[in-house]
Amino acid sequence: MRIECRNVTFAYDEGGRPVPAIKGVDLVAESGSTVALLGPSGSGKSTLLMVLRGLLEPDAGVVVLDGSVAADKEYAHRQREIGLVFQEPETQLFATTARDDVAFGPRQLGWPADMVDAAVEEALDLVGLTGSEFGERHPYSLSGGEQRRLALAGVLAMRPKMLLLDEPFVSLDPGARRDLAAVVRRLVESGMGLMLATHDVDQAWSLCDERLLLVGGELVAAGDWDFAGAGAELLAAHRLRTPFFVELWRRLGRPLADAPRTVAMATEALR
Amino acid sequence: MLAVNALIDISGLHYRYPGTAADALAGLDLSVAEGEFVAVVGPNGSGKSTLARILGGLAVASGGHRAAVCGHDLLTEPGRLAVRRDVGVLFQNPENQLVAENVEEDIAFGLENLGLPASEIATRVDEMLARFDLEDLRHREPHLLSGGQKQRTALAGVLAIPRRALVLDEPTAMLDPAGQVEVLGAVARERENGLTIVLVTQEMDEVLGADRVVALERGSAVFDGPPAELFARPQLIADLSLGLPAAGEVGLALMQSGRRFVRTPLTIDELLDELVGSGGTQLTLGGVSEHPSSADDPAHGRWEAHTAADSPAPAGDGGET
Repeated sequence: MRIECRNVTFAYDEGGRPVPAIKGVDLVAESGSTVALLGPSGSGKSTLLMVLRGLLEPDAGVVVLDGSVAADKEYAHRQREIGLVFQEPETQLFATTARDDVAFGPRQLGWPADMVDAAVEEALDLVGLTGSEFGERHPYSLSGGEQRRLALAGVLAMRPKMLLLDEPFVSLDPGARRDLAAVVRRLVESGMGLMLATHDVDQAWSLCDERLLLVGGELVAAGDWDFAGAGAELLAAHRLRTPFFVELWRRLGRPLADAPRTVAMATEALR
Repeated sequence: MLAVNALIDISGLHYRYPGTAADALAGLDLSVAEGEFVAVVGPNGSGKSTLARILGGLAVASGGHRAAVCGHDLLTEPGRLAVRRDVGVLFQNPENQLVAENVEEDIAFGLENLGLPASEIATRVDEMLARFDLEDLRHREPHLLSGGQKQRTALAGVLAIPRRALVLDEPTAMLDPAGQVEVLGAVARERENGLTIVLVTQEMDEVLGADRVVALERGSAVFDGPPAELFARPQLIADLSLGLPAAGEVGLALMQSGRRFVRTPLTIDELLDELVGSGGTQLTLGGVSEHPSSADDPAHGRWEAHTAADSPAPAGDGGET
């Protein structure tokens, strides 16, 4: 699937006064692509994800989904192919078993029971919480990291083609972050498109090929721009920093184009 | 550690959330000396935040052998009320800690509740605005502040009342990198001024600067010692769902793949030191192999060549691409 955002503008309404949040954003994200949506706190990242998913309607500009626009009959269906995982999504777990919680979305879509069941087991597998072991557990009996992955399963069960993640690693312990990153990596390898909204430059560097920098609702950088060089200045100017591996390579005097993305890659290069 | 000057002296502390089957704190021991900076780590759900709330007198322990904080007995109602005056607590979410219309009113809030005279409050607020670099923001409404500014305002409000100890519960978790630097800088200055600090965190880089780190698992302390000692135990780190600082992850992986270092590097400087280290260079030139990695590592010479040519460039330098 392909999401195309053309000159999209959105403002929140605060007591009749428009507060601009997104200003003329153009972007493309599609299946198989991994896009980091970087930006300081309050830059509009979450708002932009909600606009892409159709939870907020742009004031101007269009979000084109596989060539269709809001007026088209199939648009709502296309929107459902975008899975949006909110910040700290585990706070919205509500069912008494893991399986039931994951089944909520597919049931809302009116899928037949056998299709719901298959989607639920598949989603639980994808996040590493196999149904046989975790399916009947109460969500609150799971660890924090497991709860977050369960919430992700609830979105995956609706079989999205694009996954939009809003600060997915915040407040997880380091082990849970590693587990979640491994899940995301596997999803990407299977062809899922990813948009990762975050101020965690290390995760963005590690998981994404393309980087967008959103500041004050405007895209100030896009594409596979250099995280070192002028890119490093851009990051620092907007409350971010250079990813660890880029900084390490710079200080080693190694070509920054070869900077590793993971510990394994760094080890391979330095051993 | 049972020091006479222990500001926090807790032994066998229990806490159970209503309606749950297991203790969130299960016989916890914790001792913190006056002026000490102690980091508390542990997997999600290990009891860190519960501990923070109890230390601040904001939650009632289910039981314990001893729970003395700043001389107040937390096992009694009067002790819990009294400790709230001496221990300040800063929480994770900057969104819900500010209560007033603007920055200076927020800092004044706690002082007003103490019933201090207006002139004294005004003096104190000015002091705090200066101390936390908020003078230019004094009339700013909270919703117009960045995350880091909000946390600094909240911290200024907490410390406007003179405290004997500060408890921080993942204070940087929701901040962008610049906000993290702002808040950690403010905390570091308080530490230099001698404030006793307990920092609950998931960020292993933040642990490095602590005098001591206490690791919790299922509500009790399973490690208590210097950060370097914790990070030298990879199996314990894995068991506790923790990690090493980024440089440590790389250093450890290199050591596991056969590379020999003098010690596990934990910061980028230490990692660079091990990879291109000046000490190693001199020993190699002198032909003396006290530095185990220098003599028998074929890659060493390559790093050495970089050492000479490559002094660290300022951040933002283009480097070579």
